[in-house]
Amino acid sequence: MGTLLTILRESLRYKGREAQWLWLFHRVSGLGILFYLLIHVFDMSLAYFNVPIHEEMIALFKTPLFSVLELAMAALLIYHAVNGVRVAILDLRPELWVHQQKVTRLSLMVTAILTAPTVVIMLIYTFNANFGHVATAITH
Amino acid sequence: MSMIPTPVIADNNPYRARYLANQKMKPRNAFERVAWQFMRYSGLALVFLALSHWGLQHLINSVHDLTLDATISRWGIAGQTATLEIWFWRAYYAVLLGLAMMHGLNGLRQVLYDYFHYRPLYWGFMVLSTVLIVFVSVAGLAVLLLGVNAAATGAAVVR
Repeated sequence: MGTLLTILRESLRYKGREAQWLWLFHRVSGLGILFYLLIHVFDMSLAYFNVPIHEEMIALFKTPLFSVLELAMAALLIYHAVNGVRVAILDLRPELWVHQQKVTRLSLMVTAILTAPTVVIMLIYTFNANFGHVATAITH
Repeated sequence: MSMIPTPVIADNNPYRARYLANQKMKPRNAFERVAWQFMRYSGLALVFLALSHWGLQHLINSVHDLTLDATISRWGIAGQTATLEIWFWRAYYAVLLGLAMMHGLNGLRQVLYDYFHYRPLYWGFMVLSTVLIVFVSVAGLAVLLLGVNAAATGAAVVR
């Protein structure tokens, strides 16, 4: 436990500024995506091995709580993808290292630009699924 | 001219001799180099594969439209001959599954290596997570190659 606190404190205190925080969040988002990936693939594999449980899990993923988690998943995935492209391109093309600081901020901006419409679209789907009958009742 | 004296590397320099001996003795760590390259190239591939899958399932369609019929239309029904379209989807998901799981396992390995300095603990977590990831991957590949078990739904539809 003390070790975990040391890891957290030192990860935040290390004066790598933006790039350090992006590195830290890249790890955290990667672990989150892996956790989701395992649940998701396990659930989909039940479409062969146990269809009733598969359908129950899919029904669970349509509940409002999981819609919120789905939004978080979208943000993690987009961030991990955009920041991963930054890391990969910079690592494979060392002559671009002079642009490090600019590109660091650019990666956060692109993440925000891509995440915002994604969240709006997904919220509309979630709203229609949960309150669509209310909107239909009002308009008709 | 430069005021900094150039270091003389003599042939009898003990440090250089040890360095050269180490160079001969140690094999170059090919695994870490390949793993490093794999993370970059698979990451770039996954940007297209994972984001296209995400966009298809959550932006163009939504989780609220996801039914067993939709899954059957991509992966086919177990025991029935698969069309070319179904084989395309199976290949797409198999590549996505394999790359994502390997990318995730190697990422997890790096994180565990950094934070579990007690090596038996690191190896314990590594063995556990590798077994779990391989098990889930094989199950996922199985459903891709076999198709949806429509007979188990009780209302088997012939398409």
